[in-house]
Amino acid sequence: MGRLREFWSRTFDVREGEALRTTFMALYLLLVLLAYYILKPVSRGMFLNKFDIDELPYLYIVIAAAGGVMAYFYTKLAIHSSLKTAVNVCTFGMIGTLVLIWHLLTYNWPWMIYLFNAFVSLFSITLVSQGWLVAANVFTTREAKRLYGLLGVSAVIGAAVGGSFTNVMVHYIGTRNLLLASAGFVLLAYGAFLGVTLQKGVSLSQAKGAEKEEEFSIKELTGAIGRVRHLQVIMGIIALTYIVDVTVEFQFNAMAKQAYTNQRELVAFLGNFYGIWLNLITFVLQFFLTAFVVSRFGVGGALQIMPVAIAGASVGTYLSPGVVSTGATRLTEAATRYSFNKTGMELLYLPLPIELRNRTKAFTDIFVDRFSRGVGGLLLIFLTGTLNLSVRQLSIVVFGYTIVWVFLSIRAKNEYVATVRKRLASRRLDLDSLRINVNEAGTMRLLQETTESSNPRQAVYALSLLGEASKYPLEKQLVKLVDSTFPEVRGKVYELAMQRGIRSLYENALAELRSSRFGDDAPVVKPAVEYALWVSSDTPDLAKRLLNHPNQLVARSALSALIAHPEASEPLITKEWIEEAAASKDTNRRVLAAIAIAVRGDAESRALHNLLQDPDPEVAGEACKTAAALQNRVYLDSLLRLLAKARMRGKAIDALAGYGERIVGTLGDVLLDTTSPSAVRRQIPRVLQRIPTQRSVDVLFQAYEEPDLMVRTAALKSLNSMRDKDVKLSFGRDSLTGFIGKEAQYYYEMAAALSPFKESRETPAARLLAQTLEERLRSTLERLFRLLGLKYPAKEMHAAYLALNRKKTDEYTAAIEFLDNILERELKRVLLPLLDEDARISQTGRDLFGVQEKDQRAALRELIKSGDSWLVACAVATAAELGLRDLRPEIEPLARKAGTDVVTVAKSALVTLA
Amino acid sequence: MAELNIIEKVIALEAVDLLKNLSAEQLSRIASIAKEARYTPGKVILGPETTLDALHVILEGAVSISRDGIELHVAHENEVLGSWALFDPEPMSVTAKTIEHTRVLTIGRDDFYDLLSDNTEITASIFAMLVKRFRQLVER
Repeated sequence: MGRLREFWSRTFDVREGEALRTTFMALYLLLVLLAYYILKPVSRGMFLNKFDIDELPYLYIVIAAAGGVMAYFYTKLAIHSSLKTAVNVCTFGMIGTLVLIWHLLTYNWPWMIYLFNAFVSLFSITLVSQGWLVAANVFTTREAKRLYGLLGVSAVIGAAVGGSFTNVMVHYIGTRNLLLASAGFVLLAYGAFLGVTLQKGVSLSQAKGAEKEEEFSIKELTGAIGRVRHLQVIMGIIALTYIVDVTVEFQFNAMAKQAYTNQRELVAFLGNFYGIWLNLITFVLQFFLTAFVVSRFGVGGALQIMPVAIAGASVGTYLSPGVVSTGATRLTEAATRYSFNKTGMELLYLPLPIELRNRTKAFTDIFVDRFSRGVGGLLLIFLTGTLNLSVRQLSIVVFGYTIVWVFLSIRAKNEYVATVRKRLASRRLDLDSLRINVNEAGTMRLLQETTESSNPRQAVYALSLLGEASKYPLEKQLVKLVDSTFPEVRGKVYELAMQRGIRSLYENALAELRSSRFGDDAPVVKPAVEYALWVSSDTPDLAKRLLNHPNQLVARSALSALIAHPEASEPLITKEWIEEAAASKDTNRRVLAAIAIAVRGDAESRALHNLLQDPDPEVAGEACKTAAALQNRVYLDSLLRLLAKARMRGKAIDALAGYGERIVGTLGDVLLDTTSPSAVRRQIPRVLQRIPTQRSVDVLFQAYEEPDLMVRTAALKSLNSMRDKDVKLSFGRDSLTGFIGKEAQYYYEMAAALSPFKESRETPAARLLAQTLEERLRSTLERLFRLLGLKYPAKEMHAAYLALNRKKTDEYTAAIEFLDNILERELKRVLLPLLDEDARISQTGRDLFGVQEKDQRAALRELIKSGDSWLVACAVATAAELGLRDLRPEIEPLARKAGTDVVTVAKSALVTLA
Repeated sequence: MAELNIIEKVIALEAVDLLKNLSAEQLSRIASIAKEARYTPGKVILGPETTLDALHVILEGAVSISRDGIELHVAHENEVLGSWALFDPEPMSVTAKTIEHTRVLTIGRDDFYDLLSDNTEITASIFAMLVKRFRQLVER
């Protein structure tokens, strides 16, 4: 018992708090698969019993067409509903339909059998896929990695039990009544689903009823297939796979029909065949053999096993046609398709750019799969109907298919290697996105060769990819590369050696550090220091020596690495050491002090405060990093001050963003405090943007009410950027419409102010004023579209804004048309006239906001009072140029306002107007 | 003569080819870091021996531009000395020497870089101008 428990816990790592969730989920999948593997043999058995075998190809075409259409509509509907609703509707919809079909089957309508078979294909698309979708939402990615194996086993058991149940029960309750049994299991599965939803921490309210397929355009993808040979080969193999699938299934069904004339016996046989044999063989191949085959024979080998095995089995069928030989061929075909071929195809997609890969997969799932089955059906009609080929003769055709298939697999392997090579050269190979974790032999060989290439970037890239392949024997390659002439490569070697726990490169690392010279910043230094300290048996002694190394980078790296070795850092880095280094005149010592504080902490020391204010940007920058690492709020004030210093701003933003959500309130206080320095306030939105939480969004929206145009623009840009990156945050709110209204009113006011100066540009100040007002109109329009981008699809709003700016008639008209269709009525009323001709702008400004047309004098009077310092300066200078003495009372107070550029302009204007 | 106010500085800066793409308000930000300087006749403003760290716009006066003692040009009001000084610290191969009392507006490189880091839209406009120049050179 103890051994069993030990085996169980070693194989299936179910942790505390996961047991009930996992049990219900496993039960849910088991029961859904059980129900499906009752329906599959029953539907096929009924068909074969009712119709001649010649009719079977038509069924394939019906399933391909009807199944495709049903799957399309189901996905379209489910994507808009929650997963819980989708499960509820599907479960009870399926139960109801099963009972209805059960009833209608009593009428013996032939078309009913076609409908039933098409329905079974929908059952697999909906309930079975839904089962895995529920699992994806019940477990986190990390849990899924541990628990999916267990769920997979429960699904296999469900399928096996379903097949066995059918095999036995068909003799007691008859074929038709098995539909009711299946409906009963679906109901039980629903009970297990409810059990899942009741578990702590499970929430399906946010999950959608279906995964959104990558969108693709058939025209675009067929174009890509025409251009990319790699894709042509993939499509060729997929098409052949399904054509052979249909042909082999036909042969098997024909022989099964011949062997079992009694419907119940036929259904019982099919139940056993699909439920037990097919599932168990696939399971064994997938779990025990696929990884071995792929790592040994590579992608080409994995892809060739299926056609070669089918060819062999087909020879058997030719020599001795019967239910045993065709059954063996069918088992070979289906089992290798779900194991070797599936993995091989996944690998084949790997070198494609990720977007093309996703679109191609969606195109294959939705279109190529069903289209090929349909073509398979048509070919069968031709072969068996027109050419009148027997099952035995069909095996020659299948053999022919497999020869083409093997040829394509060889091409696929060559294309794969060529594409991987190209992608590797451009460092765009993405192993992370591969769904499976295998060491494909060809890729590994290619990566290994690339690590020794003359391009260090490529070599490092290939080495990092090899480092991710868990089963690759890395040490041998690292020993070889540690003497590489490229420091980047050697650096990567030490980094990977540490990650993989390889200790044999210690002497190499020490030699590397001994040869390091003053000022040398080779990328090998830091990893070599970290590695040497990690391997050393006397870390404190080595650390002490490295801290006094003539190369500053060695000393700094050693100090940073001591975070991982507190036992070595305590005697070396004392409070006195830090304070002495922080007060040193030597910049390098002060940098070391800043790093040391990150290692030992800042208790009872003001050193970091001083270092943050250090005039040397390198010291202050390192201090910023330390402040971010310590996350102590006492440094917030110093970090905020650094936002005003252009050279320190980037580091300060990084450090502040590192504090995360807990400082959003403080950032908001400073941002909204008009007494804080403007240079600091304007940068805070950039920090908030790096903390993508709802609180940050709320603070930025508050900041939009600020009068300072630059603060407002900065807040808006950050909101736009956050919306671009994070779809989960909420940007919709009532205040948006208010902001849009205010900006629109400002636009009408500026347009009214510009109107009397449009024609009078002969004097320099009036020209500057007109240019500035035009610039204000342009920037207001940009802000308006940025605001619209928070309410409506951002990309579309941006495209409309660009089209309006380009002023090309057709694009302009299309953009106006788009806005007219998408905007709310109230917004349309305010915004569309802005894009119209001047006369309509002034009329709308008057009608909506009471903005009156003005002469030059009135316009200047208003601008002088606007508070916008640059506009005020331009207006004052223009008044002086135009000799408008009656504006002196408005100008005089400005000449007394100290500290602004307006003062000097006002003073010289008063002299002119005296 | 009184110091220039910000509007007058902006009008002077409009003459600088490198800043042609900027809006009046963007120029006002550059104007805020521009300083006035006065030179007596015979003063070397730029030359192979001087550090090139600022751009100068002549407000009034005249400056002789010469190479190896040979006068190439006399620069007057609104002309710019050291156009590329903001980007290239290499000393000039020519000498710029005042021949009258001369008043210039000077933009220092360090202040200019600080300003650029605060005003990305100015950086973008200057880049656009440089790319346009480069394209013209390539197409020539």
